[in-house]
Amino acid sequence: MNAHSLRFRISVWHASLLAGSLILNSVLTYTVVRHYLARGLNISVEDHARTIGEKLLVNLADRGEAYLTSALNERYGPELYAHYARFIRVTRKDGRVLYQSGPPNDQSFDPSRVSVPIGLVTRGYLRKENLPGGHQLLIYTLPFRCRDGSWYLIESGRLTDTVDQVLYRLLLALVLGLPTIVGASLLGGNLFMKQALRPLDDIEQQAERISSTTLYERIPVPKTADEVERLARSLNRMIARLDETFQQSNRFSADVSHELRTPLTILRGELEEAVRQNSIPQLLDAVGSALEETERLQKIVVHLLAISRLDGGEVLREKVRLDLGDLARTTTEQMRLLADVKSVEVRYVVAQGVEVEGDPLYLKQAIVNLLDNAIKYAEVGGWVEVKVAAVDHVGILEIADNGPGIPAEALPFLFERFYRADKARSRETGGTGLGLSIVKAICSAHGAEIKVFNAEPHGSRFRTEFPLAGVKSELGTNLA
Amino acid sequence: MRLLLIEDELKVANFVSRGLAAEKFAVDVARDGGSGLEYATAYQYDLIILDLMLPVIDGSGVLRAIRSKNSHVPILILTAKDAVQDKVDNFEAGADDYLTKPFSFAELVVRVKALLRRGPVNRSSTVRVADLELDRLSQQVKRAGRRIELTSKEYALLEYLMSSAGRVFSRNMIIEHVWDQSFDGLTNIVDVYVRHLRTKVDDGHDRKLILTVRGAGYLISDPNEV
Repeated sequence: MNAHSLRFRISVWHASLLAGSLILNSVLTYTVVRHYLARGLNISVEDHARTIGEKLLVNLADRGEAYLTSALNERYGPELYAHYARFIRVTRKDGRVLYQSGPPNDQSFDPSRVSVPIGLVTRGYLRKENLPGGHQLLIYTLPFRCRDGSWYLIESGRLTDTVDQVLYRLLLALVLGLPTIVGASLLGGNLFMKQALRPLDDIEQQAERISSTTLYERIPVPKTADEVERLARSLNRMIARLDETFQQSNRFSADVSHELRTPLTILRGELEEAVRQNSIPQLLDAVGSALEETERLQKIVVHLLAISRLDGGEVLREKVRLDLGDLARTTTEQMRLLADVKSVEVRYVVAQGVEVEGDPLYLKQAIVNLLDNAIKYAEVGGWVEVKVAAVDHVGILEIADNGPGIPAEALPFLFERFYRADKARSRETGGTGLGLSIVKAICSAHGAEIKVFNAEPHGSRFRTEFPLAGVKSELGTNLA
Repeated sequence: MRLLLIEDELKVANFVSRGLAAEKFAVDVARDGGSGLEYATAYQYDLIILDLMLPVIDGSGVLRAIRSKNSHVPILILTAKDAVQDKVDNFEAGADDYLTKPFSFAELVVRVKALLRRGPVNRSSTVRVADLELDRLSQQVKRAGRRIELTSKEYALLEYLMSSAGRVFSRNMIIEHVWDQSFDGLTNIVDVYVRHLRTKVDDGHDRKLILTVRGAGYLISDPNEV
């Protein structure tokens, strides 16, 4: 799973929160249970000692010591406490042991080895005694005074094993349960979230597909009545607004180009007539110059319209499978003289069989514009390079020159309409400022990308990347 | 030769009809689709030049109406609409040629004459301009009897200019004829080729045959004939 996906992050958050609260809860549970069990055990041994004192020792003088032994055995003999081992010892003040319970049923400890309290015991206290075999005995020692004034020490003890066992099992359950619960909730949450987020994936994929030429398409709206549905709806509204703006802008360009045609036709017609009739020979040069500019205006109009058409997703005239290398070579050969007059060497690095699908006239126009640019900017006596290659299902056409390169600040705007990196020079050469915009529009219409780099030590490199023919891609939707 | 021009834009109609009259055509002008159709049915024209965006009946309607009357008069569409689909639709409806505004008048004349199958689209195998001779079969060019070696593009360019000696060819016409419309916008290539061609054809000769008309284009002509 992608670490940057929403699903992953929600899962991690969810799991950490759950684990945190489970740990807190476990610690609390364990502490409370341990406290409660320990307290229970304490009370049990204390009560026991008191009961022995109040019930059996009170009348010891009347009944005799033999009675004590039999009564204790009767009430607290090991066979009566099959589930947990008890320890009872009654000692007279002079240190003589009146009673000591026998070994427990399970022989878990030897009562005779339990230490004897030393010194004067004035009030009851609890102590723990470690026994061999890892057992621990909790003993309550109670000084007891009979009515006749005699003093006894009553020791009542219990093994803590049962409590330890319960605590151990609780701990085990908590420690093992935690990852299980967290894991299960991670898995379940993930599945649920995958389900819940699937519409988002669909939206993403569709949004990715929608380009300037397919703005009529919309995102699928899941009928979930939740945030995702609302997102899809508002995205669709946004696309609709974009579509409208885009169409308006395209319509505007198209309308402007169109409206300029009639006045241009008249201008050109009248000027040509003036040239033909040669009525005022001294104005011939001026009229000629006006005609040249009319022609440039006409070019701008035609190119602007072509760009709006391509950007607007108008169908390409024909879509055929063609060899990019052949096309590049034949086109370049037809322009060879332009390079020759500047003594610019044309270098070919052309791979065979790089086939793309497209409109040959448009693709050729893209090559012409790029190559014209390259030759224009190449050094006198320098070189231009035409490169065609196929790399990873992409057909690459590169046109490079060894000219001065492109100023870094111009790079981002190079394909914008009417942008001129070298303002004085390009206007002088009669350009329209639309050549590279047309190349970009042609590329987009073919599902191709165009990039430009500055080369080392100097020069520029225009790279177009076309989807190869026969490789399934978005080409179909753009050309459909 | 009688032509009908159906064009609603007055100024366009004026310069086109004046220019065609200068080429010795008789030109009638109709200013809307309705009267254009009336003219076309009432008279026998040798060719009709038809605008597409017309009042009353639009150009496509006029075109279909004329063709539905089983008339085979050549029709040249002259329009500001240059979308591919418009062209295809009108060719399918029976248009013979299609010229987009703004156009060079020289090109209009070349196309009109081609449609009328009348000179000066010279198809004979040898063409001459002064002492320059071009043989279409052997693709050889001679000036004053001496052979000139040309590249294939230079040959195509010269042949195009010589096909109608004395007529000005615009750079765009040359581009579309000698290269193709992908090179549209690359008019400087024409200048470079013409310069080369001029060196080979005119250098060392007193009579310069290849001439430049500023703003309009190039032509080849015999200076003695002017």
